[in-house]
Amino acid sequence: MYSSSGKKYSRLVRDLNSPKGGRKIKFDILFFLSVLVLASFGVLIIYSATRSPVPGIVIDPQHYLKRQAIFLGAGVFLFSALQFLNYRKIKDLWWIPGIIGLLSLIAVLVFGYEVHGSKSWIDLGLFPVQPSEFAKVFMIMTLSAILSKRKTEKVNHISFKKVILSSIAAAIYIVLVIMEPDFGTALIFLLVFIGMLFISGANFFYILGMMAIAAGSFFGALQMGIIKQYQLDRILIFLRPEVSIGGAGYNLYQSKMAIGSGGLVGKGLFLGTQTNLNYVPEHHTDFIFSVIGEELGFIGGFLVIVFLGFIIWRCFHIASGSNNSFGMLLASGVGFMVLTQVVINIGMTIGIMPIIGIPLPFLSSGGSSLISTFLGMALVSNVYIYREVRKEHEIAYDDFS
Amino acid sequence: MSSNIRIRFKIIAYLVIGVLTALLLRLYFLQVISGEIFAEMASESISRRTSIPAPRGNIYDRNGRLIVKSTPVSAVAAQPHILIQDDGAIELLSDYLDIPVANIREKLENANISYLERVFLKTGIDKPTMIRIKESSGLLPGVEIVDIYLREYNYGVLGSHILGYTGEIDEEKLASDLYRSDYSGGDQIGLTGLEKQYESMLRGEKGEIIYEVDPQGRPVSIIEERPAISGNDLYLTIDIELQKVTEEILYGGIMEVREKTLKNTDEHYIVPGGAVVVLNARNGEVLSMASFPTYDPGIFSGGISPEDWAYLNDTENCFPLNNRAVMSYAPGSVFKIVTAYAGLEENIVSEYSTTTCRGIWYGLGSDFPKSCWKKSGHGSLSMRAAIKNSCDIYFYEVGYGLFVKMDNIEELLQKYSREFGFGRATGIDLPFEDEGLVPDREWKKEYFADRIENTVWFPGDTVNISIGQGDLLVTPLQMAMAYSIAANRGIQYEPHLIKEIRDPYGDVYTGSTTLNWKDIELNEYYLEIIEDGFDMVTGPGGTASYTFRNFPTGEIPIAGKTGTAEIYGKQDYAWFASYGPIGNPEYVIVVMLEQAGGGGSNASPIAEKIYRYLFELDQSY
Repeated sequence: MYSSSGKKYSRLVRDLNSPKGGRKIKFDILFFLSVLVLASFGVLIIYSATRSPVPGIVIDPQHYLKRQAIFLGAGVFLFSALQFLNYRKIKDLWWIPGIIGLLSLIAVLVFGYEVHGSKSWIDLGLFPVQPSEFAKVFMIMTLSAILSKRKTEKVNHISFKKVILSSIAAAIYIVLVIMEPDFGTALIFLLVFIGMLFISGANFFYILGMMAIAAGSFFGALQMGIIKQYQLDRILIFLRPEVSIGGAGYNLYQSKMAIGSGGLVGKGLFLGTQTNLNYVPEHHTDFIFSVIGEELGFIGGFLVIVFLGFIIWRCFHIASGSNNSFGMLLASGVGFMVLTQVVINIGMTIGIMPIIGIPLPFLSSGGSSLISTFLGMALVSNVYIYREVRKEHEIAYDDFS
Repeated sequence: MSSNIRIRFKIIAYLVIGVLTALLLRLYFLQVISGEIFAEMASESISRRTSIPAPRGNIYDRNGRLIVKSTPVSAVAAQPHILIQDDGAIELLSDYLDIPVANIREKLENANISYLERVFLKTGIDKPTMIRIKESSGLLPGVEIVDIYLREYNYGVLGSHILGYTGEIDEEKLASDLYRSDYSGGDQIGLTGLEKQYESMLRGEKGEIIYEVDPQGRPVSIIEERPAISGNDLYLTIDIELQKVTEEILYGGIMEVREKTLKNTDEHYIVPGGAVVVLNARNGEVLSMASFPTYDPGIFSGGISPEDWAYLNDTENCFPLNNRAVMSYAPGSVFKIVTAYAGLEENIVSEYSTTTCRGIWYGLGSDFPKSCWKKSGHGSLSMRAAIKNSCDIYFYEVGYGLFVKMDNIEELLQKYSREFGFGRATGIDLPFEDEGLVPDREWKKEYFADRIENTVWFPGDTVNISIGQGDLLVTPLQMAMAYSIAANRGIQYEPHLIKEIRDPYGDVYTGSTTLNWKDIELNEYYLEIIEDGFDMVTGPGGTASYTFRNFPTGEIPIAGKTGTAEIYGKQDYAWFASYGPIGNPEYVIVVMLEQAGGGGSNASPIAEKIYRYLFELDQSY
């Protein structure tokens, strides 16, 4: 797949890496540049969303700008640092991030504090961290390790045992996140898991079975009162936007109005009225796309979606180009992570997806989301760099030959 | 890579393209197709309009003295639908503003029912109250402090019946066509007098500020600001100094009459009220107009208190709000000006024809004797002497003659009454002016429709009118206009109160200075004959001779006529109608006192004193 476009792209990347040409492709520079451009744009749009003072709260108008710029710097540093480490060498160490992820999710349940009814934040003194954001990447690493080829196998065979093991691993993550409770993030976990299971080549019956169990659990939880009806109503308000402008529908109403009022070219950067005047709640975090839509119009929204689409395409393309099942699953997992969040988040702001509080990758304000997204990007880039396996004899031959 | 996985990647590729395209399509629909609708909704949702009250125009007297001005004050305004739901806030406000909770609640409920956006709970609050309310703004939802303008009266009670008062517009008016444009709850409007008459001139134009507001409704910035434009200024024909003198003389005169007793009894005259009109004889300008009892229009500023309102409407207090100068009364003998002219014009009498008065008259038959006010009789009288002595029998004869001559074709006395301006509004620029009543056959038919036997017009009805009695009703202002017609030999000027109207930049408003007059084509000689009679009234032996005994009538001859209207069950109403100086008339003065006895002895002194002031004569004889 992606064969013709893939070849052209490889040539372009090769030329960019070494203008004189001919050298071996080492680094997907366009992918990295896209990530950098999008995240930098995020810093700018966050500034636009937060520079007007909120009445009654005295705050430095550049507070969020500075914060996000620091997180961006940290993300870029993390990205760069991880390029020197061959991802295959850490495959056997998958349990380390796995356990860190689990421990952090348990820690947040014990030591965390509530924001908007979810105990999903933990204060590390310097800045607050949202462990579930990092746990997404850790779960992807764990699942990739479980679902990839064992040394004892000739080819990667997704056995029933692998499916069960990966399901248990995913279920632990999902249950911990639900306990916060953060249904939105849990949904992302579930979708990423199903996506990875699908791309691993698992039998469709396993996948369908998995979805049936998830659906069953959901209705079970609804029956048992773990998920309350009002929570479900709020999530599904987008199906009946006319129901309440004052309650849960308010966010959606305001977001749609803000985005719609942007028109084709938008009101201009910094000139969004609905978002800058706080009519759209959470407009620098979950509803950042409203700011983009209002200020930069359809053209701005279009470009953002195109950039995100490009990054998602690179994730899957790099995955499919990897001759190692662990790398393929890793890159695919990150691809699913970005894809599901983009679709649900943007879809939510324009009224075609449920209102669940998840950030828009690269763009929403917040360090955890940005840095964990950069972590994911670093893994994808790493899979690209270290896709040439034959010259490295310590690694066993791959099943994708 | 196995082909199975390749296919799965392909599926994912299509999935990615599919969902991203769906996002883009939805975005296109929202922004490009419905963008304009959303843009309109958005700008509507973030803006709030607040109107800026315009200061009402000032009112000046004819010499440019400022009588009424507008002063900015702070007022507590509430959005009824919000505040009404908060008992705690209402209690707090009740405490701060010192208004009972029930009153606030009632006001809010009334306003809420009429969907008023805003209602004023109190106007003219002091600084400490303002600060307390502002500090508690978090506890007082829908309550705000706004600046409004209230009327301030430099001359207190002077001219209150002319000026009128202002007050908050009520729901009924807000709903009516007259006020529908651009008025909103809490607006101050003119309710009576010139304030009402010239509401559209005085009110100015409200300004507007369009704010950008945050979701809590707090203003963030100003999008657009249109300043208010002050109302136009009125320059009156009134001379406020003369007004002061007039009101003082009227008050003093009434107090003197109240000291007097009815002939041969110890019953005092009641004199519940009275009115004086002073016109410029040359153009109908009202120089002063007094009505007793009076009131302070300042008590209406910012809302009248229930006690004050009760006082003003209590029968005991004789209704101080009434402008008696434009209310209807039986005129008595001052009306003989019409009868005299009609008699001469219709040849019922001539300049020198005489009638003998024996004190009693049987013209209507022996069963219906009618007497003269002078029981002993006046003897033989011609027109001039009849006026001088106000002989009733002479005028009975004239009235009867007019009735007989009519011959069922035209009611002559009524015709001349109307020519002199009775039975219709004078057209003065004041609201609520009475038309008076000139009774005729048609009126009687209609008025007594339920008692057929009373619908017939008798000669006695005409005879009664001829001496200003019967069902005839006139206003002091109408009487002043009638005497001004005589003074001007048939030219009728419309009485008016406005000299000119100026816009806020000081330019004269076009059309405000037009003088309305018409020639009603009367016989000048007949008017001179009547004037001779009037001259004699204030001279030796006339009905007002005692009053004018010290007045220099030689140099400043005054044409006057006394009147004493008898009203069944009440004391007599005293009248004096006049103009002067004869030959070059400058002023017309009419005095009317309710239940004050004879016009000659009790009403004419008031006019005499005013003439003394006008001609700068010594008052302290």
